[in-house]
Amino acid sequence: MCVGLSAKVVSVKDGTALIDANGARREVSADILEELEPGDYVMVHAGVAIAKITESDEDEAVDVMENFI
Amino acid sequence: MNEQARKARDIITGYKGRPLRIMEVCGTHTHEIFRLGLRKLLPDNVELISGPGCPVCVTPVGFIDEAIWLALEKGCIITTFGDLIRVPGTEMPLAGARAKGAQVRPVYSPLDAVDMARENPDEQIVFLAVGFETTTPSACLAVETAKKEGLKNFSLLTANKTMPNAYKALEGSADAFLYPGHVNAIAGNKVCEELKERGVSGVVAGFTASELLIAIAVILKNAEKGEPFFVNCYPRVVKDEGNPSAQKLIAKVMETCDTEWRGLGVIPMSGMKLRDEYAEFDARLKYDMPKITGKPNPACRCGEVLQGKCKPSDCKVFGKVCTPEHPVGACMVSDEGACAAYYQYGENL
Amino acid sequence: MSEKTVTLAHGAGGKQTSELIDQVFKAHFSNPKFTADDAAVLDIGEGRLAMSTDGFIVSPFEFNGGNIGKLSICGTVNDLACMGAKPLYLTCAFVIEEGFPMDKLEEIAAAMEKTAAEAGVVIVAGDTKVAGKGQVDKVFITTTGVGRIMDNAHTSGAFAKPGDAVIVTGDIGRHGCTILLARDEFGIDAEVDSDCAPLWGTVESLYSVTDDIHTIRDATRGGVGTVLYEIAEQSKVGVRLNTADIPVDPAVKGVCGMLGLEPLYLACEGRLVIIAPGDKAPALVEKLREGKYSKNAAIIGEITAENAGRVVMETEIGAQTMLPQPGGELLPRIC
Repeated sequence: MCVGLSAKVVSVKDGTALIDANGARREVSADILEELEPGDYVMVHAGVAIAKITESDEDEAVDVMENFI
Repeated sequence: MNEQARKARDIITGYKGRPLRIMEVCGTHTHEIFRLGLRKLLPDNVELISGPGCPVCVTPVGFIDEAIWLALEKGCIITTFGDLIRVPGTEMPLAGARAKGAQVRPVYSPLDAVDMARENPDEQIVFLAVGFETTTPSACLAVETAKKEGLKNFSLLTANKTMPNAYKALEGSADAFLYPGHVNAIAGNKVCEELKERGVSGVVAGFTASELLIAIAVILKNAEKGEPFFVNCYPRVVKDEGNPSAQKLIAKVMETCDTEWRGLGVIPMSGMKLRDEYAEFDARLKYDMPKITGKPNPACRCGEVLQGKCKPSDCKVFGKVCTPEHPVGACMVSDEGACAAYYQYGENL
Repeated sequence: MSEKTVTLAHGAGGKQTSELIDQVFKAHFSNPKFTADDAAVLDIGEGRLAMSTDGFIVSPFEFNGGNIGKLSICGTVNDLACMGAKPLYLTCAFVIEEGFPMDKLEEIAAAMEKTAAEAGVVIVAGDTKVAGKGQVDKVFITTTGVGRIMDNAHTSGAFAKPGDAVIVTGDIGRHGCTILLARDEFGIDAEVDSDCAPLWGTVESLYSVTDDIHTIRDATRGGVGTVLYEIAEQSKVGVRLNTADIPVDPAVKGVCGMLGLEPLYLACEGRLVIIAPGDKAPALVEKLREGKYSKNAAIIGEITAENAGRVVMETEIGAQTMLPQPGGELLPRIC
């Protein structure tokens, strides 16, 4: 239901983060994430960073496949 | 495709266990599953059905009528996620109202609608707040911002929904749920754990090809064991506790209420509305809106499609009267809708 | 003339109309064929002619990589080129909103002059109307062109055959993405410029490799996806695309990711879709990659007998899916 975009945090100021996804940049709200820093990766939805995430899905893939298959 | 995804794919294509019905309850899952052609990999004994997870699809006809009333009768500027613009109301969609002079603007974020209100103090801006747990924080942030700044020309027309009671309404529709990753990123996994205790299985899934393949493989492997299960297959985004700040924000600004789901009817305590302290931002109260009840097209079977009771192609109007260019039901409107996805991606390829 | 604007008097047909024509249009479009008479007199010669017309109403009228003037030349020149026709003559008609800055009109005319020169086409007639404030959005241009079709060129959307390759002449969707960003409705920044370019030279270079080219289309409004559906329909064939082979600029991908859009439906104004026999395709691509406007040319798929009328994609997980049919307004999908 919710298009999410994974993006890298470029800068954070006053509850607003500038994020970059493949060179497309936008300011989003950083209000509901604590201690966001430049270089972090976030999942963005409707102009709000909703979760801190890892850059790629590869480690997760190994982890899930090893533990639950 | 990485090595793990390939392994997962082999598990899926080689599945020989009992027949399984898996319901995805997230429109973006539906969309990605079709985009990847994932259904084509499934063996005959595994069926993926598209549940009510597209906020556009579950938004009732009356909500569109309410928005059009605000635009045409009250002269408000309607700001909305783009998907909602073509959803049919009783008489017309918002696109039709726009042709009659209504101002309808797609926005990326409700926060952009607040910016618009700040920059246009003489205009009344209404944001159409649809969506589930993932989207609700953005609407709450918008209201909080408007309140803090003392903006008097911004309000929400709310149709926000929550999933827990919908899962209950859908119990028995499928053998396992593919839980919506971004809802759980906010709400956490507690509801899914509780469902497992009650015998309802499912996994939280992400949205990349690899994440979807692995999530389905995990369902197939665990289903063979016969015990109810819950697995978080999206740990890089979803934590068990979800996002506590977002939960706190939602609880501060909104409270639960009964709400109508298109096709499913009213599900008790499955909606969100603004708390009394935020009443000035509630468009229904602010504009003293009369009770508006929409009349859906009786031929449309979106409701049954959403519950997995019929396939889009079983509906009489599907693909004939009801097409993405002229949608009858909401499931044909959004790219995420089950009917639109069936129609556009050619299920019978 | 920085302070000057176009007024209704400029469109009234009198002295001020002459001034406008002299100062702006004659200064840029002057050539022996462009006379003060009612119509241009042209010596066309032998052979088949191609003729096309197109209206341009882009908003905003200036964007990264061009303006409406450049676009109005490229659009018509490229339509002619797609028929294997060397563009010869062009006419242009302006509808200008009262109050439009004169220096911007000058810039538009200059861009038209430059682009026409590059395309080797001569502007032979023009018309100017001024509409009252609010009656048009700043400036609309319509161009009409004729070109001579090369004797060895026979292209049509109906000529695609099973076994043909599908080639695009560069990364897709840049123009549409540029316009989307220029409207600044979604607060997104990205370094993307329009692919808008005159493509006669590109088409001509194809014929130095082979005459056996079945279809050439410029992927304008509706993008490459729409063009492929049209070809599938016209030729009664299927199109199979390899998703991984479709060139898309990373920033365009990023913008599309944010808004839930599909690059295959974003407009291009300097990209061709070429359908030619599979065995000729590698040499065509090699030739294209030498060209100024087709450095990223690539084979993206093939024409099939099965799935007639459909565009099917080979996806990253090794399955097939149908490319959704384009339809309606391009709305960002967020929810």
